[in-house]
Amino acid sequence: MIEVLAPLPVLLPLLGAAGALLASGHPTFQRTLSLVVLTAVLAVSVVLLLVADAEGAGAVSVGGWPVPLGIVLVVDRLSALMLVVASTVALGVLVFAVGQGAADGSEETPLSIFHPTFLVLVAGVSNAFLAGDLFNLYVGFEILLMASYVLLTLGGTAARIRGGITYVVVSLTSSLVFLAAIALVYAATGTVNMAQLAVRLGELPEGTQLLLQSMLLIAFGIKAAVFPLSAWLPDSYPTAPAPVTAVFAGLLTKVGVYAIIRTQTLLFPGGALDELLMWAALATMLVGILGAVAQSDLRRMLSFTLVSHIGYMVFGIALGTAAGLAGAVFYVAHHIAIQTTLFLVAGLVERQGGSTSVHRLGGLARRSPMLAVLFFVPAMNLAGIPPLSGFIGKLGLLQAGVAEGSVLAFTLVAGGVVTSLLTLLAVARVWTRAFWRPASQPPAEETAAAAAADATARRRPDDETGDATGEEGDGLADGRPRTALQDAWRRHTAVALAAEPGLPPAAGAVRALRPLPRTMVGATTALVALTVALTGLAGPLYGLADRASVDLIDRTPYITSVFGTEEVP
Amino acid sequence: MTALLLLHLIAGVLAPVLVRWWGRQAFLALALVPAASFVWTLLQLRTVLAGDDVRETVPWVPALDLDVALRLDALALTFAALVTGVGALVLVYCARYFSPEDEGTGRFAGSLTAFAGSMLGLVLADDVLLLYVFWELTTVFSFLLIGGSGRRLAARRAASQALVLTTAGGLAMLVGLIVIGQASGSFLLSEILADPGSGPAMVWGAVLVLAGAVTKSALVPFHFWLPAAMEAPTPVSAYLHAAAMVKAGVYLVARLAPAMADVPGWRPLVLGMGVATMLVGGYRALRQKDLKLLLAFGTVSQLGFLVTLVGAGSRELAAAGLVMTLAHALFKSTLFLTVGVVDHATGTRDLSRLSGLGRRLPLLAVTGTLAAASMAGLPPLLGFVGKEAAFTALLDGGLADRTAALAVLVGLVAGSVLTAAYTARFLWGAFARKPGVADTEVGHAPEPLFLAAPVLLSLTGLVLGPASPLLDGLVARYADTLPLLAPEVEHLALWHGWQPALALSALTVAGGAALFAVRGPVGRLQRRMAVGASADEGYWNVLQGVDRLSVAVTGTTQRGSLPAYLGTILVAVLALPGVLLLTRAPWPGQWRAWDTPVQAVVGIVVVTAGVLALRIRQRLSAVLVVGVTGYGIAVVFALQGAPDLALTQFLVETLTLVVFVLVLRKLPKDITERHRPRERAVRGVIAVAVGAFMAAAGAVALAARTGTPVSEGYPGPAYDYGGGKNVVNVTLVDIRAWDTLGEVSLLVVAATGVASLVFLRRRTGGVERAPRTRLAQAERGRRAPRDRWLAATATLDPARRSVVLEVVTRLLFHTIMVFSLYLLFSGHNEPGGGFAGGLVAGLALVLRYLAGGRYELGEAAPVAPGLLLGGGLLFAGGTGVVGLALGAGVLQTAILESTLPVLGDVKLVTSLFFDIGVYLIVVGLVLDVLRSLGAELDRQDDEEDPVELDPGEVVLR
Repeated sequence: MIEVLAPLPVLLPLLGAAGALLASGHPTFQRTLSLVVLTAVLAVSVVLLLVADAEGAGAVSVGGWPVPLGIVLVVDRLSALMLVVASTVALGVLVFAVGQGAADGSEETPLSIFHPTFLVLVAGVSNAFLAGDLFNLYVGFEILLMASYVLLTLGGTAARIRGGITYVVVSLTSSLVFLAAIALVYAATGTVNMAQLAVRLGELPEGTQLLLQSMLLIAFGIKAAVFPLSAWLPDSYPTAPAPVTAVFAGLLTKVGVYAIIRTQTLLFPGGALDELLMWAALATMLVGILGAVAQSDLRRMLSFTLVSHIGYMVFGIALGTAAGLAGAVFYVAHHIAIQTTLFLVAGLVERQGGSTSVHRLGGLARRSPMLAVLFFVPAMNLAGIPPLSGFIGKLGLLQAGVAEGSVLAFTLVAGGVVTSLLTLLAVARVWTRAFWRPASQPPAEETAAAAAADATARRRPDDETGDATGEEGDGLADGRPRTALQDAWRRHTAVALAAEPGLPPAAGAVRALRPLPRTMVGATTALVALTVALTGLAGPLYGLADRASVDLIDRTPYITSVFGTEEVP
Repeated sequence: MTALLLLHLIAGVLAPVLVRWWGRQAFLALALVPAASFVWTLLQLRTVLAGDDVRETVPWVPALDLDVALRLDALALTFAALVTGVGALVLVYCARYFSPEDEGTGRFAGSLTAFAGSMLGLVLADDVLLLYVFWELTTVFSFLLIGGSGRRLAARRAASQALVLTTAGGLAMLVGLIVIGQASGSFLLSEILADPGSGPAMVWGAVLVLAGAVTKSALVPFHFWLPAAMEAPTPVSAYLHAAAMVKAGVYLVARLAPAMADVPGWRPLVLGMGVATMLVGGYRALRQKDLKLLLAFGTVSQLGFLVTLVGAGSRELAAAGLVMTLAHALFKSTLFLTVGVVDHATGTRDLSRLSGLGRRLPLLAVTGTLAAASMAGLPPLLGFVGKEAAFTALLDGGLADRTAALAVLVGLVAGSVLTAAYTARFLWGAFARKPGVADTEVGHAPEPLFLAAPVLLSLTGLVLGPASPLLDGLVARYADTLPLLAPEVEHLALWHGWQPALALSALTVAGGAALFAVRGPVGRLQRRMAVGASADEGYWNVLQGVDRLSVAVTGTTQRGSLPAYLGTILVAVLALPGVLLLTRAPWPGQWRAWDTPVQAVVGIVVVTAGVLALRIRQRLSAVLVVGVTGYGIAVVFALQGAPDLALTQFLVETLTLVVFVLVLRKLPKDITERHRPRERAVRGVIAVAVGAFMAAAGAVALAARTGTPVSEGYPGPAYDYGGGKNVVNVTLVDIRAWDTLGEVSLLVVAATGVASLVFLRRRTGGVERAPRTRLAQAERGRRAPRDRWLAATATLDPARRSVVLEVVTRLLFHTIMVFSLYLLFSGHNEPGGGFAGGLVAGLALVLRYLAGGRYELGEAAPVAPGLLLGGGLLFAGGTGVVGLALGAGVLQTAILESTLPVLGDVKLVTSLFFDIGVYLIVVGLVLDVLRSLGAELDRQDDEEDPVELDPGEVVLR
């Protein structure tokens, strides 16, 4: 069963891409083909998951070559789960993109390019999850990266090219580090088969192991956007078309996280660098979420929360316990779904309100109650509000952290809690400013600075401190003269905040209401429903994550599935 | 119980629809849901009084000990009855509070009903994690209810403040609950209470859990969100902020007290904050002019009182606390609802503008007075019973520490004096006729249904006072879980005879009356004693601090500079693997400089070229020098005995140069960007260090090898199984065909991407065949060379034509194409293969294009690149699927041998089809690049259709 099905999540999208290229003049055919292919991939992935969960890990040797000569594809609980989640959100995003294309024509997302490229992207992601061979993992990464370069620069606007250059160059650098690491691994062990590496790496001197492990971690750390290797992400993701950003945010960083999980558990068990990873996780969480708090643009804010929450997953991995890994695996599944959904919602917000800047938006809750629900529920989910899946993932990680019991683990627990709170703050601000605040009221009043000034004025009602505008909150509405230092600071932070030079538009300048195409809303609703359904499915899903992580720590199921025995040449 | 919770959820979701159908009458239907729960709760009374718990468990996430475990015991029953009863009445009240034309009523109804369900779940939960789930849900619904339609700034601020503050406490509590659960070995309240853990973990757990209770129940110093939350509509204030949600903290403290009261730190925290809150709240209530704010500060004060009682950890204080909780819920929600009616009838809540309302709304005045009397602790109301019980308990030894008991008693009496005083102020403010203020106009008399809820609630408080012995059984069920410190159990009753507590009660009432009598001077004194900062300001200042910190951190880490990001990555490489290499890795025992000195020569050339590439200012030369490094690598491959690699590298390098040159046409000739010397120096150091690191790492890694490389196993099977003598090619198309499949699909995408960037709107332009008219025109041109060697050269500007090139191209093109096919087909056994063959064919196309221009390209390859790419991918991927379909493995090779008439023995290896796919894709890629970067850019030049993209736009920072 697995022999036949395992290659399909890669082959089907590739053949679909070929078909889409051959039929480049027939958009209807392309659409149908893509939908059929991704539906089939989803179905195959579900079957693979069921089989892998029931029978344990299985491997396919491509071309029938004896192991370890050829390439193996390995389906274990973790990779099958990742396949299912990835193909689900890919399908959702595709439907959204089709809806957007149908509504906009091909101006912003030329579909004849989008379809084949998107399918190849899915093939790359699937390949990365299935790869049982370190070099093939690299190939998987390259496929998805190349597809992502194209998707990120669709339409070729100046902003996209600028974001694209950052993305392409950083990604190439990370690939270079990865490739160099593979070369070093092969130099040291003479193999790239991961099951064989699991054994051979352990026979190397400890220092050499550390060298190889740290190289791989850096390569994957860039892809997963772990601080301090994360700055590229918020600069490049937000510029792409909504469905592209959505699928990137959901899938691409998680492929990096997946690779870190594999490396840490299969290739380098023992947790030699766990402490370092803990610190990286803490920094990722905090720096990321502070970035989110500072943003006024919905998409940029979401990009920063994306980085921040990668820290959660790294935290779980770094704990090195089955509980920690289970939390991380669950969180990956949750985060793929939620982050994709929120970026799609951001696409709807941009359509409805003509912008994603909370200064320019306003009154969305009244104008479109449907959109309000579609934003609020996943936003609360992202912030880890129970009973949604974000809470369950967070709970798992916190439990694992508390159970670990070290001072560092408790520091991480505290960091995780602070991150959760600041995430809530960030999304609640978007809600109050873009959805609640009528567009006619000035956004400057919404800042904490303005509120603090008002609170002081309330305490001293007799004083003449009626000045309620922000001091320097976000540099919007204050006519006071600035010092040179303040100016320098403004320049220093301008890029990070993507600060708008001028004032926000006056009341009434908000763009007229654009109706939301039904397909786009439908796709987003379906994904929101999926993220909500994760609450009900949390029991079986967490059980699966638990079993997957036990397998990961054990390692023998993986190795045995490849070699048929525990004896490895 | 699960059914009841689900019922609330469904009702909450349906509420907007119901409101749309039935208008505000929908509230009456919704009220049935909590009312049904109330009835169910009371029906369980007999079971609970008999000492049995009602339990229900539905598994949810067993791996995390998070299950829907519900339990109804005496404490839960008390709170559940309170939550559902008041909830039902408030919903009835809503049916008249809102006017039919109010917007957002549906949303409000949904949130309020869902809130009622969450609150019920909170008090029923036996799993502490489930408790947290409902706890947080009440926070979120409170956020939505306070914010309302979101039109008002103050409401938005209050909503987000309450959300952030209570969630902050809630998260601390979550961690505390996890700590307690792990220390106790169970996450079920019933089991934790039966067998609590011990040690420092419990202390941490207790403190963290208290953080949650304190923020939720608005204790000092986190009390300020509650008055701010008065922005919400009055039913919300009455329900969430008087009867239900703020009681969650009280509930939690009461729930955990039996297990935690003796944990070090618990009592000082609970008693200290409780008493302080009671005093601060009462003090602030005296200053308020808005009736709702007055009540809000009163609530803060009373919450402090309640937490003090239930948290003290003795039987008698817990019993008093439970009665007081009940009393408070009854009187405070009545008072809020009363204010709502006043507000509705007069349009104001400002007590300096209200006058003479008592005469105009007599029923309301009586209702309000009854509730107020309970608040002040006057007999025969329930409030009096509770307060008496509290005083008695403290006097009789309800706290083991006598000094603490005395201090708490003094604090509570002082607080009660303040309570009596602000009660008087409330009654006076709402109903009295004030000198100098005109009688307030009453717009319309309140409907009976509008008054039903407050009347019923205040009557309950009145009845339960004398009937308090009936409560005794229920209260005792809970209180008996705590140790009794007094000599004997004091049963609940209105009249205990002449005893010290009665004197204290009298003292509080008298003191309150006196304080009210001198309200003028007291008010002036309070104004003069204005404090330097308020907790509210503190909150916003902290938030402002977070904002500043976030800007500072983000501004520093997110520079928007690509060199900075790359630098970070490379420094990370040096800092982690680099340092590990220096400190931990075993260095190789022996070093070998080179295999042959030629390697060193090539190395020097490559390095020199690399350095030159950095110094040269002319783009074209820089690119050529970069090309030298590539050719150098090809030479290294050749020296190592890898002709296939060398050939491929050579071809790729050549093609890359061509592509570069095509692109450079659109770029400025010189590289003008200059960097400061220091930047260059830093980058130089990083670059050299990374290079040195890679070299050293390679040496270390090679030295560590002990196992046999897999490649040594390749040659035999490559022939036997893969049917080819060229191991490299068999590796590419068979052993590692899966990699190749991935790489060629990558090429397909790359080609698509290049085309997409140049054509922007289309996959690619149509095939441009040479236009007949232009050919004809060119024929007539005198200066053009006579002979036509190529199909479309005539369309070129004569100045750009080169006859030599045309002739050479004419001679070579077909030869090269045939050679490329030879490489393709012989590749399995000789150097070559689909990749190299495709590249050679691509170079042939390059030649045609260079010699004949864009129309020549169309003539040479009159086919859309997309077809080649798609077809190639179909070939390569198809071999995989066909294998699967035939029952073999994916991409499995079959060797077909047969003897044909003319050709003799023919050996067909099916992986050839795969290689054909590769060939097609490579040709397609080259064609796509030529068409977009070559022909399309030509067209833009010819037709004066300049590229819209200004190169200056894309400069890197």
